[in-house]
Parts: sequence; structure tokens; C-alpha cells
Amino acid sequence: MFDLISEIGQTIRNNKLRTGLTGFAVAWGIFMLIILLSLSRGLMGGFERETGKLDVNQISVWRGSTSIPYKGYNKGRQVKLKASTVDALNKSNNHYIGTAAAYKYIDSAKVTGPKDYVSDGIEGISPEMQRNQHITMLAGRFINQADMNLQRKVMVISKKTAKTIFGTDSASQVIGQRVKSLGLSWKVVGLYTREWGETDNYIPFSTAVALSGGDANIWSISVLADNISDEKTAEDAENAIRGELAKIHHFDPADKSAAPMWNRFTNYLQNKQGMKILDYAVWIIGIFTMLSGIVGVSNIMFVSVRERTHEIGIRRAIGAKRRNILTQVVLESVAITTLFGYIGIVAGTAVMQVIAHFIKNMERSPFENPTVDLGIALNVTLVLILAGALAGLFPALKATKVKPVEALRDE
Amino acid sequence: MIIRLNDINKTYPGVVPLHVLKDINLNIERGELVSIMGASGSGKSTLLNILGILDNYDSGEYYLDDVLIKNLSENRAAELRNRLIGFVFQSFNLINYKNAVENVALPLFYQGVSRRQRNKLAMEQLERMGLADRAHHLPGELSGGQKQRVAIARALITNPSIILADEPTGALDSTTSHDVMDLFRQLNSEGMTIVIVTHDPGVGAATNRIIRISDGRIVDGNQPSESNPQITL
Repeated sequence: MFDLISEIGQTIRNNKLRTGLTGFAVAWGIFMLIILLSLSRGLMGGFERETGKLDVNQISVWRGSTSIPYKGYNKGRQVKLKASTVDALNKSNNHYIGTAAAYKYIDSAKVTGPKDYVSDGIEGISPEMQRNQHITMLAGRFINQADMNLQRKVMVISKKTAKTIFGTDSASQVIGQRVKSLGLSWKVVGLYTREWGETDNYIPFSTAVALSGGDANIWSISVLADNISDEKTAEDAENAIRGELAKIHHFDPADKSAAPMWNRFTNYLQNKQGMKILDYAVWIIGIFTMLSGIVGVSNIMFVSVRERTHEIGIRRAIGAKRRNILTQVVLESVAITTLFGYIGIVAGTAVMQVIAHFIKNMERSPFENPTVDLGIALNVTLVLILAGALAGLFPALKATKVKPVEALRDE
Repeated sequence: MIIRLNDINKTYPGVVPLHVLKDINLNIERGELVSIMGASGSGKSTLLNILGILDNYDSGEYYLDDVLIKNLSENRAAELRNRLIGFVFQSFNLINYKNAVENVALPLFYQGVSRRQRNKLAMEQLERMGLADRAHHLPGELSGGQKQRVAIARALITNPSIILADEPTGALDSTTSHDVMDLFRQLNSEGMTIVIVTHDPGVGAATNRIIRISDGRIVDGNQPSESNPQITL
């Protein structure tokens, strides 16, 4: 084996310029493949990071109007979602329905502090909604179940609101303080921040419902579905929710417009599928880019075999078998491809490391660690070896056809 | 008898088939130094190709060292060439990017001999040729005579049954030719069987038997004969 490697080393050294030029094409192809793969991995990572912040099993329902007449009711009737609908869904034993939650927005409310007031309204919210609202607590706590049960008059405000109404966002001067809203006194229990919009002031959903006069109308309900794993179960979960709502609000369970839904899981699956397609596309583009390099290698090997006909004849005359010649040419091709391929891998990885470094310091970039891992490097290496072998195969077969008599022919 | 040819025929197919070897009968004894002479087109190159297992023949039998050389697979032919025959060519046929030792060692590479062993044997052969100090020179850095001696070392390294030389002095000046023929005679005196194909009467005269071939037939010298005069240069 070592002998074979040194044989190959000699022939490559013998044709430095030609080998170098061909190798450049291969290196470039691999370089592009690595860049593309890194970017698509980064994009996928970014997607996973973003969806990781959300409950992907969330299904939202809005109030709709019926499109099918049902039990004497005409079509076109509005389905009014109520606070009691949320309770009913939570009491349901359907194994697809986990927890249901809703918002109750009181938009007329002002929130007044010692310094100033804001007129952004207040929003009733359930504890489990925190994640989907991208709420990050800075100090204190979020609305909890005890607040819900006791309909406590507590409020979670944003850093921005705190600055306006207290003149400070220092936790010690905000948490535990009282603010006024709707003529009532509220205790500030938490201070939050969010990447987008910090105007919402949160109170317990149950308190908001009570303030709205009992069984309040609500705009939408968000259900965290259980036991969903694919498109089929995701759709089953939608049907289960619609079925429950149909019982409560008396409409045909098949009537989709009565309860329009948005299923984040289906959306997630579609995005995931899209990412997979992107990955395939990148591999295909990358491999085709590399192919032009490979064709170059094949070409150069043909030239090399042609030029070395006499030499191959000599080798055959002094005892080389066809297999020896075949192996030598194929391995030479593999060696050129792998050597320059690796230069491409290293260059591509280095460039992506630099890019990754800059992206890391960038806020809200769509990429997450856009670099390739060892697995991909191994895959690419495998592709390289296969491609090199393929590139060398045809020239090698041509080389084995050289007759040993060629040795006797004068150049 | 190291070479026995019985009624060898060879025709090159074509629109007008060319019958190049016609009922060739030829015996060469172990330890002989013979030359095959003939004009170009006489069939001597084809005969050399057949003797060197580089080409097939159509009918007849060829025994080399008591092995019947007929309808061999490519691999078997390569193996027999490697073990039984040492080739010396007119244009030396050294691989130009390999130094003298590597060139001499190459036949052993195809026998799977280890690098260390190969290089040791190659050095011994080069020493025998008086080229130890040129061992790490590339062919381009050697004179014609030195190149041919490297080629002869390469032919000898597998300890073959015969040396087949194709116009070994064709590319050399007269003094060097002389040296190379002296070398062949010396190897012959050590027991090596040598067959030289040439059209140079001087080279022929330096061998112990001249086989003349003309128009595809052997016209003279097809049997070993004690009556052949030993001519010394």
C-alpha cells in the first residue's frame, strides 16, 4: 500500500501544473458544497431554534360562522366562543385535547403608576401562554395558577411600561408596587421583556373574565394538543377540538367555517419538510458543481493515460498485470480528488467558521451555527472517494487495454 | 532446451491477410548467446514478440523453459514475462521520473517484494553493472551506455531464464555498443541465455549463433550447432 502511494505521489509530482489546475476545480466544487451545506444547516438550526421557543402542538381556534344548517338553525349563524368554552374544553376527556387557554383583552383600560400612565389596555392571560407569547421574565414571576383560581388582581408589566409609569425599570422599585387600572388597585408581581412589542400588560385570565361581567365573549382559544406526531394525528386533533366545540355551540362537527383553525403542528411539519427539501436541493446542487470538477479529473486522467501509453506498455512488459494498472490509475484519481477535495473542505469550513463568528454576534439572525459537523465531512469524503474512483475508472479501463507490445514501439 | 518453437505460424488478419511467420522451427539451448537477424519486414519483430510472450501465435507450439506458452490469460502472461524473461530495449525504456534503483527494482514491485528487499537487490545489480554511484540519478542524468546498463540490471533482477534484447545497441555509439556487447558476453559466460534481435552485423558477429530470418522463414541457424564458429570482436 505504501508503495502504491509513493508511486502515485511520484506521478502527481511529475505533472504538478496539470494536476494543480484540475485539482482547483475539484476544490472549488467541494468548497461550494460545504458553504451551501453550512448555510442550509444554519437555516435549519435557526428554524429549530425559533420553533423550540414555541409549543409546536398549539392549535388556535377563532370564532367563525356556520356554513351548514344544523338542528333547525340556519347557516350563517355566528359561533360565539366564551370563557366557559375554555373550561369545557379543559374538562374534556378527549386524548388529543391537552390544555385550552384564551386571552381576554380589555382595550379601554389605562394603567396608571406614580409617575405616568399608559393606555395600552390590559390583557387576561393563562400561565401556559407565556411561552407562546415569547415572554421572558426579568424579575418577579408570571401569572400563576393560584392567581387564576383566586382571580387575584395582580399584573405583569413590561420593562418599557415600567419605565413610563414608574420612571425606572429597576426591579426593586417596581415589583410589589401598586398600579391603578379600571378603578382598581393592582399589585405588580412581574417584569418582563420581549424581542418584539412590550406594550401588553398582563393580568390573570379569570380576573379579566370576571371584570367583563361573567361569561365573557372571547376571540380565540388556543389548545395545546396531546398525542400528535404526524399530519394524520394533527388533523385528528383538529377534528376532536371541532367536535367538542360543536357539542357546546351546537353546530355540525363537519362544519369547518364554524370554527376556523390554525394548526401550528401541521405548519411545523410543512416547514420541516421544506427544510428537508432544501437539504436535498443543496446536496444536488453541490454534487453537480462538484461534478464539473470530477469531469475535469476524468479528462486529465485520460490525457495522462494517453501520454503514458509507452510507460504502461513497459510496466506491462516487465510484469504488471491489468489489475495493477487499473488500481494505479483509479487510486491516482482518488488521490487527486481527495487531496484537493480536502483543501476545499478545509477552506469552506474555515470561511464558514468566520461567518459563524460574525453571525453569533448578530441579533435575530435566521442562522444558528452555520457550520458542518463531522458527519457531513465524512459524507463529503465518501462522495469524494466515490467520485474520484468513478472519474478514474474509465481512463483506467482504457489504460488496461494498452498492450505490452507498446513498450517496443519507439516514442 | 530453453526455447522450443514447433511449426509456429502467425498471420495478421486484414483485407489482405499478412502471413508473417511461416512454420518456424527453432531451438535455443540453455546458456546460448544467439542473435536473430533479418531485414525489416522479415518477421523478426513478430518473432521477438512471440518469444517475449507479448503477442500470440496462430498455430504451432512454443515452449519456454518447458512451459507451453499458448492461449495464456493476460495475467498468466504477465506473470511469466515477469519471472522468465528479462527485456532489454533499444530505447532503454526506463521510466523517466524514477531513479536508477527504482527502475531496476520495478519488476520486483509486481512480484510483491518488500521495498527494502527490492532496493537491496536492485543495488546489488547496479553494483554488478558498476553503477552504484549512479543509483539515485534519474535516467535523464545518465549517458546512453549507463541507461542501457540500468536496463540490463532491471532485466536481471528477477533472475530470468532468458534475456531478450531488442536492438540493444541501436541507440548507442560504437564504443558504447562495444561495451554493452562485452557485458552481454560476460553475462553469457556466467551462464545466462541471451537472445538479441538486431540488424547490425557487428552485433550478430559478437554472438555465438546467428539465426537469419527472411520473409517469415528461418533461413539459417535454427538448430544449436557446435560447428558455428566462435567469433570474437
